[in-house]
Amino acid sequence: MADFISDFSRFKFLVVDDFAGMRTLLRDMLRECGARDIDEASNGKDASSLVSRRKYDMVLCDYNLGAGKNGQQILEEAKVNGWIGPLCAWVMITAEKTPDTVVGAMEYQPDGYLIKPVNSALLYSRLGKLLARKSAFAEIDARLKRRDYQGALALCDEKMTLDKGAYATDLLRWKTQLLLSIGEHAQARELFERILAERDVPWAQVGLAKAMQLSGEYAESRSLLEQVVAENPANVEAYDWLAQAQDKLGDLDGARKTLERAAQLSPNSPVRQKNLGDAALRQGDVAAAEAAFRKSMHVGEHSVLKTPDSYIGLAHILGDKKQLEEATRLLRKMPQAFNTDAAKIRAKAVEGLIARKNGNETRAAEAGAALAELVKNAQTGIDVAASMEAATLLLATGRQEDAVGLLAVVVQNNHDNAELMEQISDAFTDAGLASVGVQWMEQARRETVALMNQGVLLARDGKLDEAVAAMRHAVETMPNNVRVLLNCGHVMLLALQQQFDPALKREARQILLSANALSPGEKRFSQLISQLETLKPGA
Amino acid sequence: MHQAPPPDLSVFLASSAHDMKNSLGMLSGLLEKFLAEQSETVFSGYKDLSSMLYETRRINNDLMQLLALYKLDQNLYPFDPHPVAVSGFLGELAAQNARLLAARRITLICDCPDTLVGHFDEDLLQGAINQALNNASQYTRGQIRLAAAMVDGMLEIRVEDDGEGYPPCMLGDEAAQLGVDFNRGSTGLGLHFARSVAALHKNKGRCGSLRLENGGLLGGGCFILQLP
Repeated sequence: MADFISDFSRFKFLVVDDFAGMRTLLRDMLRECGARDIDEASNGKDASSLVSRRKYDMVLCDYNLGAGKNGQQILEEAKVNGWIGPLCAWVMITAEKTPDTVVGAMEYQPDGYLIKPVNSALLYSRLGKLLARKSAFAEIDARLKRRDYQGALALCDEKMTLDKGAYATDLLRWKTQLLLSIGEHAQARELFERILAERDVPWAQVGLAKAMQLSGEYAESRSLLEQVVAENPANVEAYDWLAQAQDKLGDLDGARKTLERAAQLSPNSPVRQKNLGDAALRQGDVAAAEAAFRKSMHVGEHSVLKTPDSYIGLAHILGDKKQLEEATRLLRKMPQAFNTDAAKIRAKAVEGLIARKNGNETRAAEAGAALAELVKNAQTGIDVAASMEAATLLLATGRQEDAVGLLAVVVQNNHDNAELMEQISDAFTDAGLASVGVQWMEQARRETVALMNQGVLLARDGKLDEAVAAMRHAVETMPNNVRVLLNCGHVMLLALQQQFDPALKREARQILLSANALSPGEKRFSQLISQLETLKPGA
Repeated sequence: MHQAPPPDLSVFLASSAHDMKNSLGMLSGLLEKFLAEQSETVFSGYKDLSSMLYETRRINNDLMQLLALYKLDQNLYPFDPHPVAVSGFLGELAAQNARLLAARRITLICDCPDTLVGHFDEDLLQGAINQALNNASQYTRGQIRLAAAMVDGMLEIRVEDDGEGYPPCMLGDEAAQLGVDFNRGSTGLGLHFARSVAALHKNKGRCGSLRLENGGLLGGGCFILQLP
């Protein structure tokens, strides 16, 4: 593959900088390099709007854009919303290299950094290489878009045998990511180990540690990550994974210290700050938790990665401290910040729960009534956290029927999650309905399992048409149960293998894709979808 | 609400160095643009302009090194070694310095096999080698050689010039520890930086290093970085 693309004229560029002088300088340099199609934006808002409307080949974005979003937040928003795909090259321009510009999570990292000062010679050389790298992945990306994972992997291998240069490592890194994303953890791990046998590469060490955690080997993962951060004390991503391993191993103190270190290095991640708040709370350090939740809200102000959990966490703390007015103000602000049905429901539920905890039954009852309305009128899905909080208040305020409606969905989608089932039973107990709860849960779980098994059993008996119908019914009842969705896809695949039907193939694909959206990276998904996509009429 | 403690002075040092870097970036960009639009025969200030660019670059290099050293010291530097096509990397350095070197009538020879791949932090290495090139351009009679090769399983990057070479007190292992070198008019920052950068690169128990020699293909000073 070509190492360098010298003709910039066929690419679309976007330059984002708040300083007009710098923008002009960059634009002139790009023109000097042969670029023709160059758009400009002076702030995060304009940049987001442009990126959402045009498919740029390359975005040159200053990290520090003054007030509003910073460069990293624009990138995250663009990735989360699917405005840019893997072929768009995002180059972050910074005055210096610091970990606070690096957020940590690999999926949100830019393709490159340019450290100021930038001159046209450097720009030409760096961007030419980057454009070539992106073009080289275009073919692989095309296969991925068709969900031809095996084909993409094969092409990756093929290219690696042709190229022994600096690209070879890009391909390797890319292949490991792909393997992890389709749930092939063992293969990814083997590849990481092969890379590490030749050289101590930090990203492969972190990758291996991640693969270890995916197969439940937290102790091994922890010791590897401890080595990584000892060698490189500013590796933010390693700290995040280390904290997770420590948490799973019950080392709460260690996890908290690790998160503190990561947050000190890179304070701008709302999720990391929220995790830090949770960790502090688990150790009973309310003051530290409050500070972390506040910080999470603050750094999340312009971020697509902001989380309602920090609002809820802070509200509970304020409630416990009897700062009820501030808690109410915060919860009333929350729906504006998130503007989803789930956020409205959570805010109202927690408002009521706090009132109840502080002995204000009247206010709790009012909140319960408002909540029941919100739940009834919800247009979009209510997530597990919202369902649990809402059901807890509804049960406590005598709205058992409304509560059970929400909880039934939670059970149907998570019947094998012991921790969650315990929380449900706690909610009943809290409302003085312990025995009703036990009875209800037993029945809900039994019905769920029966519904799930019906289609599978019919398929086993070879009654494929009936099995498909039963699975379809199960999916209608439990549209967010990953297991049901995958089983349904599987049964439909069996039926298709017997008799091809393009409409059924489309339906199966849709169902499998929604399973993957709910729980990305399951091996069963990638296997089923690959088989489905290769099915042909008459086969 | 409790009051935040007054910030540590080092925070201001780092943040204003950051700010200064931004300004220098603009300054050197504009100077380069201006130089490109002028020709030596027509514009009488051409030589002064190129000196201005040289000095701007020098300040920028010093600031970059100070900042990086500060961050390394505070465990804040996001060290990021990755595979790099060395000939492309050296070509980039040559291109970055082309206008400046041409204005001072210095020829830069690049010498590197096309297939050579190194593993290092590009930004740190760029800082170290830019500094070495800047130094060499002070002492050369007209030629600088920028070369890379694999030597004993280590990547060796050399900056050689055809000047008089380093004074004896700067050569050898012990001299390597010496800081300030008034003879060559340097604060020792550049060498300290290069040495720290080299030492940061480790692989399979081996560690990078910096060596100064006289001789090489051009017979002058040789700045030699070895990376595992």
